[in-house]
Amino acid sequence: MSLALLAGGCYSAPDPAAVAAGGPATLAGAPAQSFDLQRTDGEVDSLARHRGSVVLLNLWATWCPPCREELPVLEQFARAYAGRVVVLGVDQGESASVARDFARARGVTYPMLVDLNEQYGRAYQGLGLPTTVIVDRDGHVVRGIDGALTLAQMRAAVAPVLAKR
Amino acid sequence: MSGRVAAGAAAACAAFALALAQDVLPGAAFYHGWQYALLLAAALAVVAASIVSDLRAGNRWAALAFAGALLAGVAGLGSGLLGPDTAAVIGTPGTVAPIPALGAAAFFGAADAPAIARGDASIVLRRPGKPALEVTRSGHVLDGESILGLDARPAAFIDAWDDHGAHLTITQPSNASFLSPVLLFRQRQKIGQFDVPFDIFGTPGRARIFHALFFTPRDLANFRHAVADTSRPALILTASDDSGKPLGIALAPSGQLVELGGVRVRATLGTFPALTIASVPPLWTLAGGLALAVLGLAGHALSARRRTPRAIQPAGI
Repeated sequence: MSLALLAGGCYSAPDPAAVAAGGPATLAGAPAQSFDLQRTDGEVDSLARHRGSVVLLNLWATWCPPCREELPVLEQFARAYAGRVVVLGVDQGESASVARDFARARGVTYPMLVDLNEQYGRAYQGLGLPTTVIVDRDGHVVRGIDGALTLAQMRAAVAPVLAKR
Repeated sequence: MSGRVAAGAAAACAAFALALAQDVLPGAAFYHGWQYALLLAAALAVVAASIVSDLRAGNRWAALAFAGALLAGVAGLGSGLLGPDTAAVIGTPGTVAPIPALGAAAFFGAADAPAIARGDASIVLRRPGKPALEVTRSGHVLDGESILGLDARPAAFIDAWDDHGAHLTITQPSNASFLSPVLLFRQRQKIGQFDVPFDIFGTPGRARIFHALFFTPRDLANFRHAVADTSRPALILTASDDSGKPLGIALAPSGQLVELGGVRVRATLGTFPALTIASVPPLWTLAGGLALAVLGLAGHALSARRRTPRAIQPAGI
């Protein structure tokens, strides 16, 4: 028995229960997952198609009050950072017509993907809406942020990525 | 063959079989229980006694064969006693679950409604600097001191529309994957004679919460009230509004549209795998033990043949 315990003591078999908790913040440094989806204007688009640009990916839905408040701020940010940061909205689970009408009524001009199956929401482990993910030029997640952001917070989130050349 | 040798041989075979069982039939809770440890320890005690006895008698080859069984048995005992219990890593389709203990990340394939119905999704394990390891439902994958497999668990892909036909966001407020139309039924609930998988989802666009109970065709056939279609699984859905006010109950057979609480719901039912990780004895210990046993037996047979006196040739007449 002592021989068995001695040999067993040398084991380094992993404890599978030790699985880390999720959430968008845990994805920093990971390759950003991408899915081809239709935009509200009918074109097919994806995160991967913007490789080479810094991307601010925003997961949202029309029924979500903080998302609605954040939408004009995002539009303001998209205009201010045009050519430097691509803002990509991803509506979670709603029909294209619903997302398009809602965005159009609020003067949103940045591209909006329609994610009926919530693929981006699952991949980026959204704990709620809105969820914002900053992706660098190489297609890696820099930050995943849960909750609505102010303009100052958006600027601060992309500043380190833009500083890298 | 003397009784002592027969007992030693039987114990050696038992030690090999018990250790090998962890690799051939992995994941059983029995391997981590005292009964398994006691059986293996008893077999190993007999094997150890046989080694001592053979060494004293100068039967070094036989002792070597028994040492092979001892090595395999000790590895099996170590894995059973000290290895972690079998665990299942449940991940939402299209997500990545880090498994720090394995130094790996498990990629759960993105599954749509047809994939859930087919139940053929696989899981890919990625580790830095190593080739990706795909675990499919066709077999287990040995990875050092762990064996990986898939456990098909009940799953449902939910689509929902409002009364104008607009698609609704599905959320899971009580689960780790808040944004996902795939229910993985991590809980169970007793209802009458049934103990069935249970989950909750919401359609915040219409301020509805749904409780879902998963019934297999066999369960449906045992219902007291006859169910028209028992050929496919079904959910029993109950709806409530934001304040918890009940809004009705409905049976939703897989793939069939039902209306409940002002929402049209279609649940496509099937399975989605969880990654099971079981500790096993390292393969080298079993292979090494077997090699020693074969070498010892071969050596023993050869030396026995040399010791056997040749028959005396009769003189020619």
